[in-house]
Order: sequence, then C-alpha cells, then structure tokens
Amino acid sequence: MAYAAEAHNIVKKYPSVIAVNDVSFNVDEGEIFGLLGPNGAGKTTLNRILTCLVKPTSGQASIRGIDVVKRPAQVRRNIGVVSQAMTSDLDLTAWENLDIYGKYFDIPRKQRHENMKYLLETVGLTARAKDLVATYSGGMRRRLEIARGLIHKPYILFLDEPTTGLDPQSRRVIWELLQKIRQETKLTIFITTHYMDEADVLCDRIAIVDYGKIVVLDSPSNLKRSIGGFDIIEMTLGNFSPEADAKLKAMPIVKNITEKDEAIRVYVEDAAKSMPVIIEELRKMNVSIDYLAIHEQSLEDVFIHYTGKTIRETEAQKVNFFSGAGAPKQMPGARV
Amino acid sequence: MRALAITERDLRRFSRNPIVIIASILMPLVYLIIMGNSFQGELKHLPVAVIDQDGGPYARRVIELLQAMRDGPQTITIEKMTDQKAAIDAVKNGFYKGALIIPPRFSEDVVKDVNPQIGLFLDNTDSISAAGVSNSVSRAMNYLKSEYVSVRSTLAKTQFRAVELYKKIDYDASLVPGIIVMAIFMGTTFTGAFSIVMDKFLGIHESYLSTPLTRMDIVIGTIISGVFITTIMSFLVMMGGMFITGIKLAGGLTSFILLVFTIVLTALGLLSMIFMVLGRADHPRIVGVTIGFLNVIFYFPSGAVYPIESLPGWLRAFAAVNPEAYAVHALKSLILKGTGFAAVRGDLLFLACFTALMLFLATLTFKRTM
Repeated sequence: MAYAAEAHNIVKKYPSVIAVNDVSFNVDEGEIFGLLGPNGAGKTTLNRILTCLVKPTSGQASIRGIDVVKRPAQVRRNIGVVSQAMTSDLDLTAWENLDIYGKYFDIPRKQRHENMKYLLETVGLTARAKDLVATYSGGMRRRLEIARGLIHKPYILFLDEPTTGLDPQSRRVIWELLQKIRQETKLTIFITTHYMDEADVLCDRIAIVDYGKIVVLDSPSNLKRSIGGFDIIEMTLGNFSPEADAKLKAMPIVKNITEKDEAIRVYVEDAAKSMPVIIEELRKMNVSIDYLAIHEQSLEDVFIHYTGKTIRETEAQKVNFFSGAGAPKQMPGARV
Repeated sequence: MRALAITERDLRRFSRNPIVIIASILMPLVYLIIMGNSFQGELKHLPVAVIDQDGGPYARRVIELLQAMRDGPQTITIEKMTDQKAAIDAVKNGFYKGALIIPPRFSEDVVKDVNPQIGLFLDNTDSISAAGVSNSVSRAMNYLKSEYVSVRSTLAKTQFRAVELYKKIDYDASLVPGIIVMAIFMGTTFTGAFSIVMDKFLGIHESYLSTPLTRMDIVIGTIISGVFITTIMSFLVMMGGMFITGIKLAGGLTSFILLVFTIVLTALGLLSMIFMVLGRADHPRIVGVTIGFLNVIFYFPSGAVYPIESLPGWLRAFAAVNPEAYAVHALKSLILKGTGFAAVRGDLLFLACFTALMLFLATLTFKRTM
C-alpha cells in the first residue's frame, strides 16, 4: 500500500544555492508529520515540491502513490494546502473565499455549501462568514485558510508554518483546531515549522531539517530519548574553572555537560536527587551559583544535539547582511 | 467552468474597489477635454513688433493691413517700436513671436518696383507660432501686391467647391474613437495580467496554483473579467465623450452591433497581449513601467491623435501591425461615419487574428509553478 506521501532522494538546486539535498522520507496515512528546522533550511521548498508548486531538480515524490511531477493535476485534487503567507482574499468575505475556492475543485453547489457550513462551524467563523476578510485578525485568516484547504475533503493537508506571525493565543487555537480536525477526520497532515513546541505538541513524527538535509527523523519522544532522556540542570556559575568542569564530568550522576551562552547544562537522570549533590560538590570547589533552573529535555535540546547549535543561531548564521538568507553552497557535514 | 470562478473572484474584487474603475473612466475623458481643446483652436493674438524705418505710404499700408489682420482673424497683435535691436532682443526674450522691419526706401522700391523687401525676424523655436506670424505677414503682403498689380494681368484662377460627405466633425469629436481605445488600454492596466501580478506580489497566487486550475483556466478566467470591466468602461467613456463633444452615433443598429464587437475584440486582444508580456512579472512596479512604455508605442501611431499618413515610413510600418490602429480605424468608421461591415471587415479580421495569436502565446508563456 502506498504511503500518504513519499519523497525519494529529492534534490532542488537554485543557481546560487542547494535548497534541498538528497532528502527521502515517507508519511504514513493518518499521521501528523512535521518538518522542523530554521528558516532557510529547505522546509518550504520540500513542501512546495510535494504540492506541485516547484519541480525538483532530481528525485521522485508522490502523494498516495501519484507522482507529483508526472501527474500534478491528479495530485492537486488529493491535497489541501495552507501556505506560509496569508493567501485568503482580503476583498472577499469568508463565504466567498470558500465558495470560489470550492469552484476551483468543481465541487457541486449543494455539496460545496454543505462543506462550507461545516468547515466555518469547525473553525469558529460562522458568525463572521459574511464579513470581508480584510476585517479579520491574523488568527482568523489562518483558520479560514485551514477551512479553505479542507473544502474539497483532501487526502492530505499541507501546512507551511501555519502559526508564524500569530500571537501565542492564536497559535494555541490553531493547534487545538488541527488536533480536532485530525481526531474527527483521521486526516493526514504534513506540517513545516520552526517552532519546537508546535512540532512537539502536534506531530507524530518529526524530521529535523538543516541546510537542505534531514538530520534525524523520529517521533518527538524517541528523539528526546535518543539523546539520553535526561533532565537538565542549567546553571550560570562564578569561578568555574576547567578543573571544576572535569570534576563535575567525573561524577557518576552527571551524564553530560554542554555550554549554552553563559550557562552550562548538566544532564542527569533525576534532577531532584542529583541537584543537591551537584550543588554540594560546586560549593566544595568554591564555585558560586548565580542562576539555576531545572527542565526536562525538549526538542530544542534534540535540535542542539543533532545540529550542534540552537535554531536561532542557525537562523542568524544564515541571514548575512551582504548575501541575504540561504544555506551555504557547500553543505557542512550534517549527521543523518 | 473553473475559469469562470476566477472571473467571479476578480469581478467581486473590483466591485469592492470602484475607485480604480472610476479614475480609469475619467482619465480618457479629461484627456479628451484637454487634448481636444489644446490642438483644435486657431492661433490667436501672436504678438509681433513692427519697426517702420520707411514712414512712406506703402509702409503705412503694410501696417494697416497688419492691423486688419489683428482686428479680423485676430491671429496677431502688433506693437510699433523704433529700435530694431531692441525689437529683435524682445523676440529673443520671448516677448514677441516676431519682429517686422520695414526698411528705409521701402515705399520708393514699391513705386519703382525694384524688389521691395520687408524683414521678418521669427522665434522659430516655436515653429507653429512662427508659421502663424509668417502666414499673416504673407497674406498682408499679398493684399498689398494685388492692390498695385492689375487684376487683369493675373491668370484666371480655377474655382473649386469642396463637398463634405459627413457632418462637420470638430477635432475634439475626432478624438472620441481614440479615447475609447485609450479606455480599453487603461482597463488592461489594472485588470487581466495585473490581477495576477498583484496576487504574486501579495503571495495570494500560491493558494490557487495548488488547485486543479489549469494554465488555460487562469489565463482565460482573468482575461474574461478584464474584458467585462474594460468593455463597460469603454462604453461609459464613449458616452461621456459623445456628450462632451456633442456628437451622436452616425449609424444604425448594424453599426452599433459592430461597435460592440470591435470594442470587445480590441479589449480581448490588448488584454491577451498584456498578459503575454506581463504574465511572468511579479511586482506591480514592472507593470507600471511596462504599461507606460507600451501606451506610448501603441497609442500615438494609431491614428487616434493624428493621421497615420503623416507618420514617417518606419512608424507607418509599425502602425500596420499596431492593433490600436485597426481599432481606431474601425471605431472612427462606425462612430463618425456609421459605416457597415464592409468598412471594418479588414480591421476586425486583423484584430481577431491578433487576439488568437496573443491568447495562444499568453497561455503558452504563463508559468503554472512558482
């Protein structure tokens, strides 16, 4: 049986950059699959290849077994797309936006209107259906666009950074909406995001993408487990010498130590039990603790582990004042 | 039909932004009023300085004849001066369009018939005014000649009587077909391809590129909405133009049907051409620059403002493939002369072929992916 979506050795080259570099993955039916990575990592390009908006330089991709390059018209009937940019028409009402979009898919009037009523209800816009979209907030527009992407009951819904630019409350509403749709319709969802929490909350499986390559692919829990599944004690220390660092690393309860900005992150199995022991050891070495926090491992830690940097660092590196955003021509040795 | 959904979308959008349409209707009408009144008037009150260095009877007669020109056709006004240099400087400084110098012994030369001459210094940087002054002075001189040359010694002149086939058409009225074509062109600047460019600029196009809409659906749907809006605009401009200039449709129902057909076909052709040129543009600034460029190229060598026959050879060759030239010719025939199909058959055939070619190329070159 065919996967909901498949990508085999996809490469997309532009004159000055390799946006996608030999990427392969499968999306199972009914799952929420996420592409997580910084801006410029190649997520949107991959998304556009799968939605027939961009042709790959090489490789093969399909939706439900239908080749995206050879049979794009058929693929388009099977997919719903919510683009990164707000694409609803400001000069039309929500009703008109949905109605006209439904006509693009040749949906008969009666069925179209039934779908529209159901979707407007689902996304909570029934009361504002006759208002111009120009009067909507960003969150409302996004909900409308999700409804629009579902007007023809697609087999798989593609969302490209659906909550970028939205306030925290609107983001949460979108998450709940997607979870509700998934629960009610068993829809396959393909989502790209650079928000760790979004990927963590929504996705069944996540592919971390960096410099056009998939660095690692698994479920959020497996990804966290793959880097040890430890608690993290984050501290800012005074008088922290290399000797003190060595002594801490030598402690059996300490599994790993990394540095982040001015702080160190000590990975332990049980923070509640380990913390007093570590504090005592630091006190003995005359190391002062200026700041201390405990947290569980997140996808941010997974990202740091697999890419060697935070997502923000990655984005900052890619946005160069003179050359603009984009991945370097030569790919650094990413771990797959 | 999916293409009609695109048409519906565009029409709904325009119905909510009527300002652009209103401005595009007003612009050709303002053009008609300004252009029609700028070029059709006769030259009046051109200031000419006169220096009489002779003071004799024929010099006075010349001045009287010039005064008659001033009081009759009012082409010139004259001011007597005494200093020749000051008069020429005044012409150079733009106070006068010309300076007429009647030299000493002019009257004597006239009497003796030894080639009497009058000097006329003209500001030829303004060639039209210079020609006006020159004509007035020549006419005055001709009168002077006829006064002292025997009528019998002149050859009998052949008399002719011009018969005008149509009701008198003032220059501003003759511009009406041109402003209809201008309205059609204006319509193409904010409908059709411009809608696509704005969609790209705003990022909206991604939403419909991921639907089953084909290239043909997008091109045809967008052009149909453009034709619809442009045709309505053109008729409003035509009615406004006819009201302003006081003309009426010269023909009957057949002419009117052909008129509608000509306008729709012209709109379709121009929209298709603009789509072919701008279908891949992604910024409205590109549209602005290109449209301004195309407007000059197509409008002025169309016969809308001045006869094509007055153009140099190379521009006449371009006019032969200029769709606006065929549209202007057809509209002039139908509106001003009320002709039938025979007079516009060639125009319509050209416009139909042009439209088919442009529509084909627009669809072929439009990029369906991002």
